Amino acid sequence: MNELIEYFVKNYPFLWGYMLDHLEIVGLATITAILIGVPIGIYLTTNKYLAGTILQLASVFMTIPSIALFGVMIPVLSVINQGVGFLPAFLALVLYSQLPIIRNTYTGIQNVDPQLRDAANGLGMTTLQRLWKVEIPNAMPLIMAGVRTATVLNIGIGAIAAFIGAGGLGVVIYQGIVRANTTMVLAGAISVAVVAILADFILKLIQKKLTPKGAN
Amino acid sequence: MIQFDNVNKVYEGDVKAINNVDLTVPDGEMVILIGPSGCGKTTLLRMVNQLETISSGSILLNGEDVTTLDKIEMRRKIGYVIQSNGLFPNMTIEQNMMIVPQLLGWDRAKKRDRFNYLMDLIGLNPDEFKKRFPHELSGGQQQRIGVARALAADPPVMLMDEPFGALDPIIRARLQEEFLQIQREVKKTILFVSHDIDEAVKMGDKIVLLRDGEVMQYDTPAEILNHPKNEFVNEFVGSDRVLKSMSLYTVKDLYKAFTLKPNFESKDIRTINEDTSLRVAISMILNQEADQLVIEDNEGNNHGSLTMDLLEQFLHKEIKGQEG
Amino acid sequence: MDTFNKRTALVVKILLWTAIAAFFIWGFSQGMFRQIYEQPGLFLELLGEHVLIIFASGFAAVLIAVPLGIFVTRPAFRRTEWFIVTVANLGQTIPSLAVLALAMGVLGIGVEAAILALFVYSLLPILQNTIAGLDSVDENTKDAARGMGLTNLQILWKVELPNAVVSIIAGIRTALVINIGTAALAYLVGAGGLGVWIFTGIRLFDNSYLISGAVPVTLLAIAVDLLFRYLERVLTPKGLILAREANEA
Ligand SMILES: Nc1ncnc2c1ncn2[C@@H]1O[C@H](COP(=O)(O)OP(=O)(O)O)[C@@H](O)[C@H]1O
Ligand SMILES: [Mg+2]
Repeated sequence: MNELIEYFVKNYPFLWGYMLDHLEIVGLATITAILIGVPIGIYLTTNKYLAGTILQLASVFMTIPSIALFGVMIPVLSVINQGVGFLPAFLALVLYSQLPIIRNTYTGIQNVDPQLRDAANGLGMTTLQRLWKVEIPNAMPLIMAGVRTATVLNIGIGAIAAFIGAGGLGVVIYQGIVRANTTMVLAGAISVAVVAILADFILKLIQKKLTPKGAN
Repeated sequence: MIQFDNVNKVYEGDVKAINNVDLTVPDGEMVILIGPSGCGKTTLLRMVNQLETISSGSILLNGEDVTTLDKIEMRRKIGYVIQSNGLFPNMTIEQNMMIVPQLLGWDRAKKRDRFNYLMDLIGLNPDEFKKRFPHELSGGQQQRIGVARALAADPPVMLMDEPFGALDPIIRARLQEEFLQIQREVKKTILFVSHDIDEAVKMGDKIVLLRDGEVMQYDTPAEILNHPKNEFVNEFVGSDRVLKSMSLYTVKDLYKAFTLKPNFESKDIRTINEDTSLRVAISMILNQEADQLVIEDNEGNNHGSLTMDLLEQFLHKEIKGQEG
Repeated sequence: MDTFNKRTALVVKILLWTAIAAFFIWGFSQGMFRQIYEQPGLFLELLGEHVLIIFASGFAAVLIAVPLGIFVTRPAFRRTEWFIVTVANLGQTIPSLAVLALAMGVLGIGVEAAILALFVYSLLPILQNTIAGLDSVDENTKDAARGMGLTNLQILWKVELPNAVVSIIAGIRTALVINIGTAALAYLVGAGGLGVWIFTGIRLFDNSYLISGAVPVTLLAIAVDLLFRYLERVLTPKGLILAREANEA
């Protein structure tokens, strides 16, 4: 225990740097995933046939173990000389985020009270206005919940991405294992866990803030 | 017989739900517990089958203190029906209805006979519904099954907590009629919670009016309507209590109270059957279907004519006349 | 509009299957699966290790989590429920790699550490789903059962558990699928499994090891997921399917 505290005190800047790397890749991937997933989720509400296919595909993707997905992506991406490093990790995180984001956007918008939609139409809103002013605000809590799930998931997978050279806190764990340094492994593991729990907590607060008053 | 002897109930946090209740539900009678929401009806009911503990006083079931009885055994001898039917969604209608007989170890043939008998009683086809699940039934059908399930092991006593409260008015009225019919056949000792005075008047042999856990009046429906003991009862039964009480009398009661001459004057005067309630008779006259109605008994005999005047006289004699 | 939507969906589906087929054709033509058929003995051994870790930990987790879930939902212990639920929620935000590393900190290198990590990690979803399933039974229904003279054990057995089975199986499915992935990392704590080939592939830049390890792990995860989804469907009492449909309508 003392050793662990000593390790944290001594290697604080080094851990901090890895954490920033970690947050960078997770943050970039999650934002990209939102930019892709939310429009897809919205579009799917207009095409139930495609919705079935896409949601199924996304849920299959979720069952693929991350290290296996890296294992498959490396050979494929090495065709364009990007086998290891940032790109496969980034792509994997974006893919994993799709299920929670698409599914929650889709469900959130589908669950908007049809009477609200009627009322919006009755007020003479265009489809785009209705989407922007009525449907998205009401679906917001669910969309944010999806983003939160995706982010927490990505922080964990991001740790594994260290094995394919993407950096981040996983590097600490990996080097600890390689050097058989338990203290280092623990320091890395605890850091990742804390980041995940904190991210979950903060996003939960944001989710609450974004919930329109009066919506449930 | 159910006897409440100085019964009190205090919930956690010093909530006094029941206050010194003394009450007897005689064998074979249906007693309605009524009162505003939160007055303690459910609490009183649930103390009988010990779903709630009794804070002080005692409840006797056929002379035995319920707290001395084995809870499980006792509950199996008491039919229990609740508002939200409480059917088990994972079981078929037959499994639901035969759950207590099954726990009591009845053999297959006996269970099957009982199932068929009860389904007949509630007017549902046994073969058609046996293998169905609760969610395949309408609200009214589900509630009928709930009642039949409580009757399954032929318990002498029934506790019913607003059994028809969640149904729409038309279905509710029909189930009330059906249940009265069933009760005439099975003659159970019933404690029945209701929040609807019309239901209480229609169904009850006696009515208990509760307020803040205290009994305000315990009487027959006619007494409650015609002679409210205090202002609270008077207000609760409503300003139309006289009209309501008319539903307790039939045309027969009226012609028995007076000596009327048979009416043969005109052939096109409408007739009214002796079993019709006076409330219906009044509406017929007020709706100007006729200004007089010829009273006919079940054999077709003419008993004279019913007029608004006569109804008024009856009211004074039977109801208002007794006041004060 | 409808036919247009249908056609779009069909096109997307065809594209997807084409991509998958193209991947396998490409992989085979490049000999990327060759480790499997060149060293079938080793392949089976690694697969066996992988499956052993998953099922030993999963089985133990079911044995502990289901009774624990039943226990905390009993009225007498209800007060412990929120605590258990909070721990289960929080625990699942901790990445699996971290749990694996922590288990190694406790038990050192070896299969035991992997099984311990996967066991602890599986407890959470199974526990969570057991509690959710048992809690989903309507209070009024339980009250009616009690009023009719069912004992607490009979209520559990005849009403609560049949209603919770589907949710419990879903929890086991979630746990197993996560475990299959985490077991692929078990190589890091010296517990073998198909992860050995994946990590060998990463270290040697050898795509044949990567694919020969990663594709079977992927297929295993998808197969287990489908199997348990199928189990959920066939084990759901018919009355409950109807109940769910009624609630959604
Ligand atoms: N479990 C309980 N704990 C505390 N107070 C209760 C409980 N159940 C009922 N009460 C209180 O006891 C009173 C009577 O409730 P209840 O018997 O349910 O009334 P009713 O059935 O007439 O509507 C109410 O004030 C209610 O708030
Ligand atoms: Mg009540």
